[in-house]
Amino acid sequence: MTDSEISLRTEGLSAWFGDHHVVKSISLSVSRNDVYALIGPSGCGKSTFIRCLNRLHEEIDGARVQGDVWISGDSGSENIYAPGSDPVAIRRQVGMVFQKPNPFPGLSIFDNVVAGLRLAGVKRRSVLEEVVETSLKHAALWTEVKDKLKKPGTSLSGGQQQRLCIARALAVRPKILLMDEPTSALDPISTARIEELVMRLRSEVTVLIVTHNMQQAARISNQTAFFLMGELVESGPTSRIFTKPKDTRTEQYITGRFG
Amino acid sequence: MSRRVWSRLFFRNRVENSGDQVFVLSLKIVAWATVSLFAGMLVYLVYLARGAIEALGFNFLTTNDWNPPMEIFGAAPFLVGTLASSFIAIFIAAPVSIGTALFLKEVAPKRVARVVGFLVELLAAIPSVVYGLWGVLVLAPVMRDHVQPFLASWFGPGTYFAQALGHVLTGLFYPFLLIADVLGLTEVTLGTLSEKMMALAQGLFDGPPLGLGLLSAGVVLSIMITPTVTAMSREVLAIVPDSVREGALGLGATRWEMIRIALLRSSRAGLVGAVILGLGRAIGETMAVTMVIGNRNEIPKSLFEPAQTMASVIANEYNEADGLHLSSLAAVGLSLFLVSLLVNLAARGFIRWIERGTRA
Amino acid sequence: MKELSLRDGRRKVLNWSAITVLCVLSFLAITPLFFIFSYLAVRGAGGLSLAFFTELPKPVGEIGGGMANAIGGSLILLSIASSFGIPIGLACGVALSELKVGVTVRALRLSVDLLTSVPSIVIGLFAYAVVVVPMRGYSAWAGGFALSIVMIPIVARSTEEILRLVPSHVYEAGLALGLPRWKVLLRLIIPGVRAGVTTGILLASARVSGETAPLLFTAFSNSFGFRGLNQPIASLPVQIFTYATSHDDTWRQLAWTGALVLVFVVFLLNLVTRFLIRRRE
Repeated sequence: MTDSEISLRTEGLSAWFGDHHVVKSISLSVSRNDVYALIGPSGCGKSTFIRCLNRLHEEIDGARVQGDVWISGDSGSENIYAPGSDPVAIRRQVGMVFQKPNPFPGLSIFDNVVAGLRLAGVKRRSVLEEVVETSLKHAALWTEVKDKLKKPGTSLSGGQQQRLCIARALAVRPKILLMDEPTSALDPISTARIEELVMRLRSEVTVLIVTHNMQQAARISNQTAFFLMGELVESGPTSRIFTKPKDTRTEQYITGRFG
Repeated sequence: MSRRVWSRLFFRNRVENSGDQVFVLSLKIVAWATVSLFAGMLVYLVYLARGAIEALGFNFLTTNDWNPPMEIFGAAPFLVGTLASSFIAIFIAAPVSIGTALFLKEVAPKRVARVVGFLVELLAAIPSVVYGLWGVLVLAPVMRDHVQPFLASWFGPGTYFAQALGHVLTGLFYPFLLIADVLGLTEVTLGTLSEKMMALAQGLFDGPPLGLGLLSAGVVLSIMITPTVTAMSREVLAIVPDSVREGALGLGATRWEMIRIALLRSSRAGLVGAVILGLGRAIGETMAVTMVIGNRNEIPKSLFEPAQTMASVIANEYNEADGLHLSSLAAVGLSLFLVSLLVNLAARGFIRWIERGTRA
Repeated sequence: MKELSLRDGRRKVLNWSAITVLCVLSFLAITPLFFIFSYLAVRGAGGLSLAFFTELPKPVGEIGGGMANAIGGSLILLSIASSFGIPIGLACGVALSELKVGVTVRALRLSVDLLTSVPSIVIGLFAYAVVVVPMRGYSAWAGGFALSIVMIPIVARSTEEILRLVPSHVYEAGLALGLPRWKVLLRLIIPGVRAGVTTGILLASARVSGETAPLLFTAFSNSFGFRGLNQPIASLPVQIFTYATSHDDTWRQLAWTGALVLVFVVFLLNLVTRFLIRRRE
């Protein structure tokens, strides 16, 4: 694996809430166009881990991060925790989808999708319209909402709202998309649609997805990392993790003996 | 992470973005401007009142004589007027409001509760001056012609009620008298105390029915504070978790038993807070009282007599005042300000207490 | 068993009588509303005419005249109050909900909480001292200033409450799009809750339209119509007060009609507010 294929790499990444050490010195490499699943029992630090990857973790009071995260951009590789690095600029390259669908209340579907671009200074109507169409198509929502773009985003169903949030994240053209248990609040049908969507997104972005559902990880990811108590126990190709785990704890977890 | 923790941190110590820095700074400037507005109000009132404070000191509040032409300024009549009218208001409004809150929250079907709740809220929207108008032109004549004669014949001087009340008051104050006596603070004996309480009880509903006066002001105030106390009581009752209700009902309690045993017991402090909040509103209320209370600068001996409150004397006299008179009115304003603050802080304390109690 | 059923019977009776008492109490609570309404309607409607809205008041004893000056004055005072009170109130609300808790937020919360409990007559005293005395006279500015102090805490509190209802993950969604915090807040969050913010503004306006005490010695009154913002100005509530306490029948009629108009406007504002709240839910 050459360096240019690597999309994101963490080196000794640790995170705290106050005195509570929740992510313990994690080093992980994610290649371009991977769908990388992070699995583990709840409270194992996997959500906190990906919140460090777009510097969202530090927004919480008493939260602290240590270590390096390199993301490869147009001008080579960049450490997002380097002194002077601007979290706002980082987050434009690393998008995020949250556990609960969270469209901006009171904003129309259209305005939700273009929120990031418009506030970054893109004003041209034609550009915005084009972005809305392509983003919603990528998020597999276009056909359902193309006639009601003026309706508020919150008027959609839960599954549609989540796809709207995906479209909103895609609209700013991030290189990496972080997904924090994006289907945990959804019904099985909506879940299936989002899973399909994630698999298709591979060609566009690198996806890191946190999930507590091992079947989901097995279905949609090509790489998997298993977290336990804030530590990275094991990582590797999904098929191998699920068939021949090296660590007994991984084996116990995927066979359902704890967690 | 809950919003509670998170919101406090929205703008952290380290604000990187320059736009964010400007934004936070401007918010802080407005915040401190508002704080200084409030602080300035207190400081300015003290400044205005300094003449009266220097000249009269604490006697200002206890002197029972307010005579601007003679340059005598004692605020005791207004203190008594404010307390008396507010307590009449509470006496009427507390049972009505708490009863209404219980009805709306525990008894009434949803639809009825919505309509009645809406009507009570409308009561809060009526401006004070409109209550005053109604009080002067409608309520006062009714009080004069019907209510006060009725009260006088049942509770007035020489009635069993007055007699009994005199005894009850004597009994209530006797322990204080004993304590004061042991400490050597008073010359009053049981006999004189009893006489004084009798006179108070006999005089309560004495005198010619005038309409405008303490009682009418209290009645208008009670109507005005009912929505406040009701709304606050409803909030307090809403804090009590449903499991408490279900627990009591599940034991076979009737609805009333559930209210009495489970609800009132656990929300007592909050309901007291709600009533004190109403008291705070009544103390500060100006226009309606000014229009209805009759405006006489003396301590009333009967509920039928005209009186004056701290707020109403300011409204009545401030425009024509100067010198020590003006400063004394400012001192009355300062006292009113401080009393309102204390009462509101007390109410908040009670309500916060119950909130913590039910959460733990 | 027999004893038990006897006790149960007594408990039932007690239960129903208690419930009846509660019903009666709530009925008592709302009866004044009907009394006040019917008097306003019956006495006030009689004086409703075009002249009431267009004419100036006439001297005591003369028949006729209207409250045009008072209505206009109230609108002017409300505009002055709003142009100071609303922006400051909004900013305070945002500060309360969004700034990191520290000295600033604690001091502001205490001030806003206590400001709501300051009797409005005291606010009038203050405005008299800081505006009327330096300007050497009653003025619309002084009245508007006093009213704006009444507005600030109401707007601030409702804005804060509304913003607190927005879940943190919605803010995070904005941050995750690569936007600075202030843009997320001002351009994405606040527009989304504008209905709620409007509610607070309307409530504050309704409250201020009926305020009388702070105007008595700030805006004072005049019976000539508008003479400039540096001059005393009439207002509906103060005019109602003056007329209600007079002994002239024409003036009392004006007071009733004025009260009807005032209550109508205040209720309208309250109804719009309720409608907005319900739509939000």
